[in-house]
Amino acid sequence: MSQRSDRTLRELAALATEVGPALAPVGYEELLLAIIDTARRLFDAAACSLALLDDDADELVFHVASGAGAPDVVGLRIPAGSGIAGWVVSSGQAIAIDDVSRDPRFAADAAQSTGYVPRSILAMPLETERRLLGCIEVLDRRGGGAPGLDDMELLSVFARQAALAIEGGRVFSDLGQALLAAVAAAAGHNGELRGALERLAADETTPQRDLVELARLFYELGRLGPEERMAATHLVTELLAYARQRRAR
Amino acid sequence: MRPAWSWQFEPDALGPVGATLPAALTREWAFAGATGAGVRVGVVDSGIDAAHPAVRGVAGGVVVERDDGAATGVRFVEGAHEDLFGHGTACAGIIRRAAPQCELYSIRVLGERLTGKGMVFAAGLRWALEHGMQVVNLSLSTAKADYFALFHELADEAYFKNVMLVCAVNNVPGPTYPSQYSSVFSVAARAGDDPLRFAYNPAPPVEFGAPGIEVEVAWRGEATMRVTGNSFAAPHISGIIARILSKHPGLTPFQMKTVLVALADNHPDRAKTGPGRHRPGPGQES
Repeated sequence: MSQRSDRTLRELAALATEVGPALAPVGYEELLLAIIDTARRLFDAAACSLALLDDDADELVFHVASGAGAPDVVGLRIPAGSGIAGWVVSSGQAIAIDDVSRDPRFAADAAQSTGYVPRSILAMPLETERRLLGCIEVLDRRGGGAPGLDDMELLSVFARQAALAIEGGRVFSDLGQALLAAVAAAAGHNGELRGALERLAADETTPQRDLVELARLFYELGRLGPEERMAATHLVTELLAYARQRRAR
Repeated sequence: MRPAWSWQFEPDALGPVGATLPAALTREWAFAGATGAGVRVGVVDSGIDAAHPAVRGVAGGVVVERDDGAATGVRFVEGAHEDLFGHGTACAGIIRRAAPQCELYSIRVLGERLTGKGMVFAAGLRWALEHGMQVVNLSLSTAKADYFALFHELADEAYFKNVMLVCAVNNVPGPTYPSQYSSVFSVAARAGDDPLRFAYNPAPPVEFGAPGIEVEVAWRGEATMRVTGNSFAAPHISGIIARILSKHPGLTPFQMKTVLVALADNHPDRAKTGPGRHRPGPGQES
């Protein structure tokens, strides 16, 4: 076996071990944090960050970061067409740059936003066949010198899994929000959840009508039998995680 | 009675075949003395820094922007513009290396806003088809299935107009557009730095491999960058095609693919003579 494929196999094995726990169902923010921590360890990088497009896709929001400059980058919003992350989401192409400081504007952007100017950067879009989600960046990968194609191949496998997990996580997060609205509405209607869900699903002004309808169906499922109830319990756990996280803000 | 289209094949209607290929396709036949002169190459990207010493000027350009007030949803601003990122300049510099005298056109489709980017991207490609580009470099791609039909229509239109679309594939497993269509020249990165060296992949959808790993490229602000990505491999093939077209005008996209396969590093005629001999891949016999 060639040295390269041997190395790739070892990395993929490490990736499989890391990705499983990283992508287990947890709260949405925890999921993003797990993804970024895993990526940082996988590449032994000085820092990693993950930016997602906001709802109208005109801004990239850095949701999580790990490593050097991390506290400063979280919450940062940049126009979706600017900077390295912006180019990656605009073009759909991955890019690795050896020495970021050779473009003074990149260096200034980085310094302004994080106080940390990386030497090398590896950036890749997070995309599924349904939607473009954002971008993942790996800064100053250690040990391997400049980020070449092997790193890009490895990050592409990871980014694909991460994009699918984020897409799934978003559905659960939105579902949690819809359920919370229904619970609140039920409190005002003699505590009857089923009726509240039906009323919300029928109300054309409800923002997440389709999800309320989905919640109503899960509610019905929960009434069917032990297995169905277990599934519903899982959902309520999600709801709880979401509610706790919301309260913590 | 004749079926539709059969009139085209009546002796007085049928035109002669355009360019023809020689019995032996050699690098000498394809490249020697060729400069890309007179060939129009469109770079659909972030703009081109025309003053960069590696670019040495552009012949024209257009900025395509979203415009909610326009009937088509986009507006075209023709004329000089800057490179918003550096990538378009990198592509232009790479194309110049292989085709020093080609006419470069900057078609800027990447801007501050992302909303409607598929529409803007498609409008840029259409501008290229309507303004006589012969080679179009597209170091852009999308995995979104919604765009399949739109870009397929444009890729077919290009093919029938003898316009060579050169597309970088992206890193997402599964199809990306427009690199996925069989009529385009789809390109991924491989090692090396010789601007006229490339490989043909007999197991598509990715058909060609060209330099794109830790390559030194031109960048905005008259800088240079050391970069990796499939998006830097595509312009190598665009430059090679422009160079061949300047010496052999009239070649169709399928003839050009035949020429490229014959000139590829892993073609038996090259592999047995030169350095960089064919190395068996995983699962292949040596």
